[in-house]
Amino acid sequence: MSVLEPALYALGAVLYAAHFVRRQPALGHAATGALGAGVVVHTFLLGMATVRESALPLVGAGDALSGFVWLLAIVYLYVELTSGERAMGAFIAPFIAVLSLVAVTSAQPGPRPAILDSPLFVFHVTFVLFAYASFAIAAVMGVTYVLLFRELKGRQPGVFYARLPSLATLDQMNGRAIVGGFACLTAGMAIGLVWLLQAGRVVPIDPRVDAMSMADPKILLAVGSWLLYAFQIMARTTLGWSGKRTAWLSAVGFVVILVNLLPVAYLVPTSHAFD
Amino acid sequence: MRLLILGVSHHTAPIDLRERLAFSPVDLGDAVSALARDPALGEVVLLSTCNRTELYATCQSLEDGHDVMAGFLATARAVPADDLRAHLYTRTEADAARHLFRVAAGLDSLVVGEPQILGQVKQAYASATDRHATGALLNRLFHTAFTAGKRVRSETELAEGAVSVSYAALGLARKICGDLKHASVLVIGAGEMAELTARHFAAQQPKRIVVCSRTAAHAEALAAEVKGTIVPWTELDAALAQADVVVTATGARTPILTRPRVQAALRHRRGRPLFLIDIALPRDVDPLVAGDSDVFLYNIDDLQSVINESLARRSSETTQAEAIVNQEVERFMAWARSRTAMPTVVALRQRFEAIRRAELDRLQPKIAGLPPEARARVDEVTRLIIEKLLITPTAQLKALPDQELQTSYADALSHLFALADPAAGDDEDDEPGAPKAGPGPRGFAGS
Repeated sequence: MSVLEPALYALGAVLYAAHFVRRQPALGHAATGALGAGVVVHTFLLGMATVRESALPLVGAGDALSGFVWLLAIVYLYVELTSGERAMGAFIAPFIAVLSLVAVTSAQPGPRPAILDSPLFVFHVTFVLFAYASFAIAAVMGVTYVLLFRELKGRQPGVFYARLPSLATLDQMNGRAIVGGFACLTAGMAIGLVWLLQAGRVVPIDPRVDAMSMADPKILLAVGSWLLYAFQIMARTTLGWSGKRTAWLSAVGFVVILVNLLPVAYLVPTSHAFD
Repeated sequence: MRLLILGVSHHTAPIDLRERLAFSPVDLGDAVSALARDPALGEVVLLSTCNRTELYATCQSLEDGHDVMAGFLATARAVPADDLRAHLYTRTEADAARHLFRVAAGLDSLVVGEPQILGQVKQAYASATDRHATGALLNRLFHTAFTAGKRVRSETELAEGAVSVSYAALGLARKICGDLKHASVLVIGAGEMAELTARHFAAQQPKRIVVCSRTAAHAEALAAEVKGTIVPWTELDAALAQADVVVTATGARTPILTRPRVQAALRHRRGRPLFLIDIALPRDVDPLVAGDSDVFLYNIDDLQSVINESLARRSSETTQAEAIVNQEVERFMAWARSRTAMPTVVALRQRFEAIRRAELDRLQPKIAGLPPEARARVDEVTRLIIEKLLITPTAQLKALPDQELQTSYADALSHLFALADPAAGDDEDDEPGAPKAGPGPRGFAGS
């Protein structure tokens, strides 16, 4: 268990919060540096684990969470560096720090089942985690949109007015993150289905593979979130929804994903329990 | 050389005097050239804005410099000297540096934190450099002032927030719509307030700017000025449905934009926010419209409270801004002090180097037989000894906190090493000549 990467992520969270409050460029640079250092350490540890296991560490719930945290930090850094907006870090970095701590304190998975030795499994998990990271970014955009909206609506521009980008920018970034996440989730689920068909032909059939159906809460919630985001994209493109409605939808969608990533993955026995 | 500022500003002079003392950009360059030619002055910069006219100069004598500069202002702008004297202020040395840095940072402005002043200071400096009226001291002073101004803007919130109704409206519109290049702006009414706000929005080059007024002639005039289009009063509802930002400033006695009218427009917008800026009195927009979920309604009082908030925030940032100014003053003064000591340091080094050279020449017959590498080594070692002997006293001299103290030390060094006597120390067998205390550097430039 490494405490270095959660420590760096936590340091980043503190610095992002300080930057949000005081708005000093030096604090912002330090925050980005701390988060970037966390990503570098995290990448190194994932690389070491990959070399040790001869496969990407994606088996247990802790592994999946760690992968999600890693991708979320990378996606966020990409958004920050391309948009020049750092205020969002104050919302995302604490989340990254907490989930990273949960991931490193999770039980280590047991021996890797042979049915996971397939590139399709790696692509399935990677795409799904990428989608979840994009949805997390979209949710933060949505929440900050609502916070800024309320401040402006209340005719008392203050903390968020001075720090967040415009409502239009937040809405646009939310829309892009949703589209990117939805494409990854669709690809991840399709690849998972193909992998399932292949794994179903391996005799004897693994009972977990046999249990993979809509009755499994993990699969049910994944499909539910896919439908929710599909509706959001459809509402944006055909119904012309934008702003507060899509902001709320993306926040609700991510709550479903969080439920799937944490309580369902850790507490409810599912077909995806390979650890 | 001493640093001197002389001028008037909104703190000391009424507007009619400031107007008379103001220099147009054309006059400014000629004035700088004329002043720089005066033998009492060295370097010169003239800053002239609607709120201040200030002369920045270096001079040997502060009294002479003051008289020349005050006389120039009185003559050039045809203001009786007695009238001018009562409103003039002067700043010298560190106080002068602090004054300029505060001006550049917007701390001395009528509206604290206003951003235009830094550009005006830069223009004044550029005008002086174009006329070759600046030198090392004012170059350094003004570049440090630019740094101070930039630091205050980036490290504090002194310049944050709008301090006029039009800018407050513009800032809010940007926060709602983002880049206004993609937004449609509807201006209802064509009076003075509508025109002022429309001009601010037009400067942002919105996708579309539409003017709607009951008086077609007024609408045409305003539309021409802001490069917009006109919509007849009867088509206001359609224009409302298409607009992202609405500025309304008519003289109507009852609200023009009633709740049903706005709600009808919202039905076509499908959640896209609508920003209504009501700067009319009596109000043009029914206050109940604020209850509709996708509408942001700001009236004149709301905009004024945004301005008050900005002013309060700016005022709370002044302590931090003053601290930055003080840091930059310290930095500039440290540089200026090191310049004071520079002639003494140079003379001391030259004296030591001359002694070294003389000793090496005297030893030449004895070391001539050594291999070239050994001779080079001897040269290097003797040079290093001198470097190491001088490094501490040089640093200590430059670091002395007080300019008078630094001058005393420089005088003492000059006396002890007879720096004013070029022949002293050339021959170790000579008795040191009677030391001649050099004049010693005075003031910023030590010349």
